[in-house]
Amino acid sequence: MEQTFDLPDSTDWLGTPLSLLTPLESALRCQVCKDFFDNPVITSCCHTFCSLCIRRCLSTEGKCPACRSSDQELKLRRNWAVQELVEAFQNARPSVLDLAKRAATEDREDAEVGTAQPASKKRKVDERDGSNSEVSEGRQTRSRTKGVERQTEPATMDVVEDSQDEEYVPEDGLVACPICNRRMKNEAVFQHLDNCTGDPVPPKKISFGSLQPMSPASRTLNKAPERLPTINYSLLKDNVLRKKLKDLGIPNWGPRPLLQRRHTEWMNLWNANCDSKTPKSKRELLHELGVWERTQGGSAHPSAESAGSVMRKDFDATAWSTTHESDFKQLIANARKRSDALVRTTIPSAAPAQSQESPTVEQPVEATIPTNMQKPEQPLVDLTSAAYPKIQHAQEPGESEEPYTLPG
Amino acid sequence: MSTVAQKRLFHEYKNLSTNPPDGITAGPITEDDMFHWEALIEGPQGTPFEGGVFAAELKFPKDYPLSPPTMKFVGGGVWHPNVYPNGTVCISILHPPGDDPNHYEHASERWSPIQSVEKILISVMSMLAEPNDESPANVEAAKMWRERRSDYERKVRDEVRKGLGL
Ligand SMILES: [Zn+2]
Ligand SMILES: [Zn+2]
Ligand SMILES: [Zn+2]
Repeated sequence: MEQTFDLPDSTDWLGTPLSLLTPLESALRCQVCKDFFDNPVITSCCHTFCSLCIRRCLSTEGKCPACRSSDQELKLRRNWAVQELVEAFQNARPSVLDLAKRAATEDREDAEVGTAQPASKKRKVDERDGSNSEVSEGRQTRSRTKGVERQTEPATMDVVEDSQDEEYVPEDGLVACPICNRRMKNEAVFQHLDNCTGDPVPPKKISFGSLQPMSPASRTLNKAPERLPTINYSLLKDNVLRKKLKDLGIPNWGPRPLLQRRHTEWMNLWNANCDSKTPKSKRELLHELGVWERTQGGSAHPSAESAGSVMRKDFDATAWSTTHESDFKQLIANARKRSDALVRTTIPSAAPAQSQESPTVEQPVEATIPTNMQKPEQPLVDLTSAAYPKIQHAQEPGESEEPYTLPG
Repeated sequence: MSTVAQKRLFHEYKNLSTNPPDGITAGPITEDDMFHWEALIEGPQGTPFEGGVFAAELKFPKDYPLSPPTMKFVGGGVWHPNVYPNGTVCISILHPPGDDPNHYEHASERWSPIQSVEKILISVMSMLAEPNDESPANVEAAKMWRERRSDYERKVRDEVRKGLGL
């Protein structure tokens, strides 16, 4: 069961002599999206997330996802230091990982030749490499001023102008592309945005839609983008809200709840973009709104959306058993002849990495889970009632260990 | 097109496969659909579920991790106060703070975007060991657990044996 993972992840360091970089990389990743921090901001409770991630959380729930204290998006502050860290780390990552992987391969080859117990040999190798700073020194000292310089770069957002007042809209049941103003069906807009050349339709007598095509003049304005305020939707009538969306240059079709959700998403995309040193163009943001529209908004398949309430009864047992057959057989076998030893269940392909990994980590008990700092201290299989409260506690987002939480 | 939810689920999958907790295996049924997972959980030692291996299905909403997944044991055999007769698991971590069917739950135990599949599965293991009978999903099982503990444990053990084909 060979698995191909093409997404860089903190676990990439596992099984290399630099496995201690796993928690470091985890700390540089947002706990909400698990990606490297993108425009990191700090909350008033001092937790750091991507600007967009925390804005989405706050508009959903109004609370910090880490500690659940109430927070407002107005209080978010940019965290430049973290941004620099992430950039520097990402810059160094490929070459360091490459070195680490090559070292790991060499270790393996050594171990195959040698007759000593692989585990103890491996540990020695790792200790040596752990204290060896040669690998990274050259890169760590590289100074990076690029980020600072870029801060002052003028933003290149297009300014949306409230140009049209009550303009004539043809009653053709179509809507205008916010970029080029071509008219098309509601559902076609976002798809079109992917290919939209941005070339405006030659101006006609009638102006379609409130958003003017980007004129060279407005493009060179280079005003810093202004943040969008939150709206108390309950105070707005339908047509006012629709007008508002139109003025923002985003599609204003669909039922009322969708309008609100779309506006919220747009506001989050927009305001997160205001936190960026290199803001995206409005067109890129519209594209991102389009992705949202297709997955969660008006063009999403309703069946997928309602997964929460509808549990498919006809669970595909065949697909499942082929995928997990070996796991399951192994589990059953283990269960049948269970001794009092801990039974480890692993996906087979992961097992080799695991066994090499365990000795390299300086954690006293849970050698099998080397990097997850939030692991319950109790072995999981020993779930007596006494152990239970501890486990519960481990799920609660604690302040101190926060940055080291691994995805799971 | 890969969304925040898909990427995040992929990270979790990768992490769980390279670094699985004891007694837990989980991943998408096919890598084409990251929103539909299968999990295997071992029954915790020292409980009537000991020795059992329980398969469950996890379904993730498109706005994951803003909203939690749902989890359902498949193939039956989980006789437990917090598991509906159809297998659906009802524990606090699977409920967003806004939606509070069980008023005793502290918001801190409920879903938050920094929770994870791993934490859910660990919670479910805990739940197997220690039912919460304050607002049971399976009233009959809860009553049995409260009033006739030995009958409850015998029934659970029987189901576990059946599940293993013994
Ligand atoms: Zn994020
Ligand atoms: Zn916080
Ligand atoms: Zn267009």
